[in-house]
Amino acid sequence: MSDRMLSVTMRINGKDTDPVDLPEDLMLLEYLQEYLNLTGTRYGCGQGVCHACAVIHDAPGGPEVVPTCITGVAWANGRSFRTVEGHATRDEQGNVTQLLPVQQAFLDHFSFQCSYCTPGFVAAATALVERLEAGPVAREDVEDVVLEALNDNICRCTGYVRYLKATRDVILNTPGLTTGEVAASDTAT
Amino acid sequence: MRRALLILAGLLAFVVVAAVIVYVAFTGPGEIPPASRDLANLSAEERAEMAQAGEYVARTGDCVACHKSPDGLSLAGGTPMETPFGTIYGSNITPSRDHGISGYSADDLYRVMVYGIAPGGSHLYPAMPYTSYHAISRADNDALWVWLMAQEPVERPNRPAELIFPFNLRPLLAFWNLIYRPDPPDQPVHGITAPQEDQLARGRYLVEVLGHCSECHTPRNLAYARKADAHLQGNVIEDALAPDITPAGLARRGWNTQDLERFLGQGLSPQGVMTFRMFPVLSHSTKYMTPEDIAAVATYLMQDAPAPTSPEPRPEAIAQNAEGHNHYLGLCAGCHGANGEGQPYGSVPLRSNTSTMFDNPLNLVRIIREGIPARHLTGYQRMQEMPAFKDRLNDAELTALVNYLRQRWGGHEQALSVEAVTDTPG
Repeated sequence: MSDRMLSVTMRINGKDTDPVDLPEDLMLLEYLQEYLNLTGTRYGCGQGVCHACAVIHDAPGGPEVVPTCITGVAWANGRSFRTVEGHATRDEQGNVTQLLPVQQAFLDHFSFQCSYCTPGFVAAATALVERLEAGPVAREDVEDVVLEALNDNICRCTGYVRYLKATRDVILNTPGLTTGEVAASDTAT
Repeated sequence: MRRALLILAGLLAFVVVAAVIVYVAFTGPGEIPPASRDLANLSAEERAEMAQAGEYVARTGDCVACHKSPDGLSLAGGTPMETPFGTIYGSNITPSRDHGISGYSADDLYRVMVYGIAPGGSHLYPAMPYTSYHAISRADNDALWVWLMAQEPVERPNRPAELIFPFNLRPLLAFWNLIYRPDPPDQPVHGITAPQEDQLARGRYLVEVLGHCSECHTPRNLAYARKADAHLQGNVIEDALAPDITPAGLARRGWNTQDLERFLGQGLSPQGVMTFRMFPVLSHSTKYMTPEDIAAVATYLMQDAPAPTSPEPRPEAIAQNAEGHNHYLGLCAGCHGANGEGQPYGSVPLRSNTSTMFDNPLNLVRIIREGIPARHLTGYQRMQEMPAFKDRLNDAELTALVNYLRQRWGGHEQALSVEAVTDTPG
């Protein structure tokens, strides 16, 4: 680890973090877990391949997913991110009152067992839903778009299908995300 | 006036007649040596033995690289080759009667390999590297023929070349051949199907003839022929730099014989992992070569090379190019390490990486923009996928990063301009 330090601040889940001096080669994942105690973002492969560590980066061009295990604080400095802790609505005591539709759909579809990959899937599916709010797709293309968006996330338990179906259902059942006629077969699971 | 026209017409007629005479007399196939053995009366055992030897000729000659079909069928044809004049597609060389080469005799194959002339007299484009294969031994040619004829025929039609005028006129290639096609060697050639004591001679044959390395690694002139005075000195082909592989060029980038053997045999060395069109060369060709032949190739390529003098890392690049250092730490160091050390089975070290050392930034720029697919090398050796960063870096940021890599590990003190970095293909 480098002994050169970098003064870092960023926006995490809508709140600006206090500036802190960090080793300049620290990865974003370690900052989240060790400095902010946001342990929901998971360390998987450590090489940017499995996307268990993915979070949403609110880029000027719209939300995008970045793997935090290989993304350094040097790049993240000054940017805005959402982690799995930041998606749900909470009351004043911090208790969850309302999940995101994507989170609820993953529960309803029994999408995960061990859950290690889930935060990454939530990030990828949520970023997709938000992209479709800005630019809907034709209903017949939804399955392809979902597969493309979640294809980088690796899961070892449930075999992907339940994640894919859950995300597809959220998109088909949310007005404004798709164009074209609703077919009865669309929402069958 | 009329007199002048008559003289002009006379001259024109003379040129045409001369061209026809030259065409007929000099541009056809030359001598074809007798077959290495009686191919019509081979025993089953001899045939199997020759087919096995022929498969090795096909591997070292890397026929599959160009003759593979897009759906992965070996030798069925259709792999595109981009040239400045248009696209040429590898042909079907399975023994299919309608689309392949079932009608070829071993002599016909020799005529193709050495003279670039197909049965019936039509000229092949020099994308078929007969300018390299021209020195193939008759025994290697015959073994290759036996192996080719033993393959499953695939009924796939050939895709015609898509070349612009006048390069689409095949007969004109006769005149190209007149100038640029080398003569076959005077002496009988010692091929690879015969044992060879002389390691250097075997290496030369593998590199210059069957391996046809110079087809990509030697710069070409306006007629798209290889420049004889710049042999193996590096060339941009199909939007990638096929680097300088002369002994001096290799030594300048830190190569030694052992590294070269690892690179050719396993696809990986401290200098990097095989990328672009060199990765198929590993998959179809070099990984099948015997360790002795790999050593022969490395010995030939490194003969009389000066001691390796790879550039010293320049830690001062950190202060010199703070923006590039920041991008490196933010986007690259997670896998390649803060000091360019890399990770086994994951990502290559950058502090000895050859792509940072080239004068031309093309390969470095393309790899950062496009990434590299996961690589299954030989044995258990793997390299993970490198993501593409074209959406995460604007032109100025990409330039700062490319310059930083070149300045820290490539021995380049000067920075390239944004135009020099971004005006690259891809």
